[in-house]
Amino acid sequence: MKFLKSFLVVLLVLLPAVSFGKKAQTIEELAKMYDSTRCKECHEEIYARWEKSHHARSLMGVQGGMFMTPLAMKGKTPFSPDSPDKATLDTFPCFKCHLPQALVSADDAFAVDYSKALIAQDSKRVSQLRITCIVCHNTKAIIHQLSDGEPEKNVLYGTKEVASHDDEFFTKIKKGKIMDHAIMCGQCHGLGPNLEFKNPVQCATLYGSYEHNYISKGGTQQCQECHMQDVDGFADHLIAPNWDDLAGTKEILQDTISMDVQTLGYDWLLKSKDWKPMVVVNTKITQNAGHRIPDG
Amino acid sequence: MTAKTKDGKEVYNSEKHYHTQATDCKTNKMLYGAQVKTQYIRDTALQPYETKAESFEIMLPEGVRDVDVIVSLRYEINKPSNFIEIAKVTRKVSLDR
Repeated sequence: MKFLKSFLVVLLVLLPAVSFGKKAQTIEELAKMYDSTRCKECHEEIYARWEKSHHARSLMGVQGGMFMTPLAMKGKTPFSPDSPDKATLDTFPCFKCHLPQALVSADDAFAVDYSKALIAQDSKRVSQLRITCIVCHNTKAIIHQLSDGEPEKNVLYGTKEVASHDDEFFTKIKKGKIMDHAIMCGQCHGLGPNLEFKNPVQCATLYGSYEHNYISKGGTQQCQECHMQDVDGFADHLIAPNWDDLAGTKEILQDTISMDVQTLGYDWLLKSKDWKPMVVVNTKITQNAGHRIPDG
Repeated sequence: MTAKTKDGKEVYNSEKHYHTQATDCKTNKMLYGAQVKTQYIRDTALQPYETKAESFEIMLPEGVRDVDVIVSLRYEINKPSNFIEIAKVTRKVSLDR
């Protein structure tokens, strides 16, 4: 009896820990785990900018498309399962960047739920899944995990140390070593083909372009210096461009890309006494970004 | 880039496309879609610290001596009909003084 009592006490103490480590099995469970809504209580300006960003709708694609839908449809891609019920996390290689929290905090049941939502084109449910504050400031904040360890559970990582953070769960802010470096973004805005999957996947190659075609030509700026400039004293978490804001994006493109046009009209003497009416249009297009355009 | 006569008749039309182009390495068909793209086979995108220079030569039809040249620089989003016009330059070009 005494042993049974001890066992019950131990079991009761262990249960919360087990519950904490439980993997999300539905869209709602994963969304709740990484919900950053409470961040806006103190970081209202930053949150408002982030809410307009593509990070806040990382599964909704440009202009609202649920781009992963073919992965859930039988026969549409090499990754597609025979039915949504058979989906696993491996069905969705795009999670690597578009939903990295799924790989650490969800299991295959989540992939089934997500597949069904895609087939139903349930944008209301799918759009709950986002690259939230927690994803960048915790999950993806440390890349030197062998030497520096995994992100600590109660710590957010920023550009500076803050002794105390007024949050029920994330009680500390530590300085993240890569937060102001291009590689922070490069974790997802990639290098080239992702060959770790059983079929290659090639999405964004922006960081590859930055490394091999900007740094190599003498460029020195980090992604954050252009894409996260201060707005009213805060790093801009819109991380423009926002492709759903065509006017704002046009402004950025016009600041970045310029075109010179020269024209000439003359009679070209192709052969003796055989003039041809000719117009020549010479164009020169230049850009001042730290990467190829277009890329992502 | 287009050239039109005074009465609006198009006498020339040409496009240049600046972007990466990929296949799945199993055929020579260019493909879109991250889940099937495997390798770039060509990259005509705008590169940092580089200028893309083009020269369009338009041989005008017999009797045409004046044209309006329209050069439009566009950023296409997902499909050709969905674009942002970054710059548009119109020039009147005449062969006569």
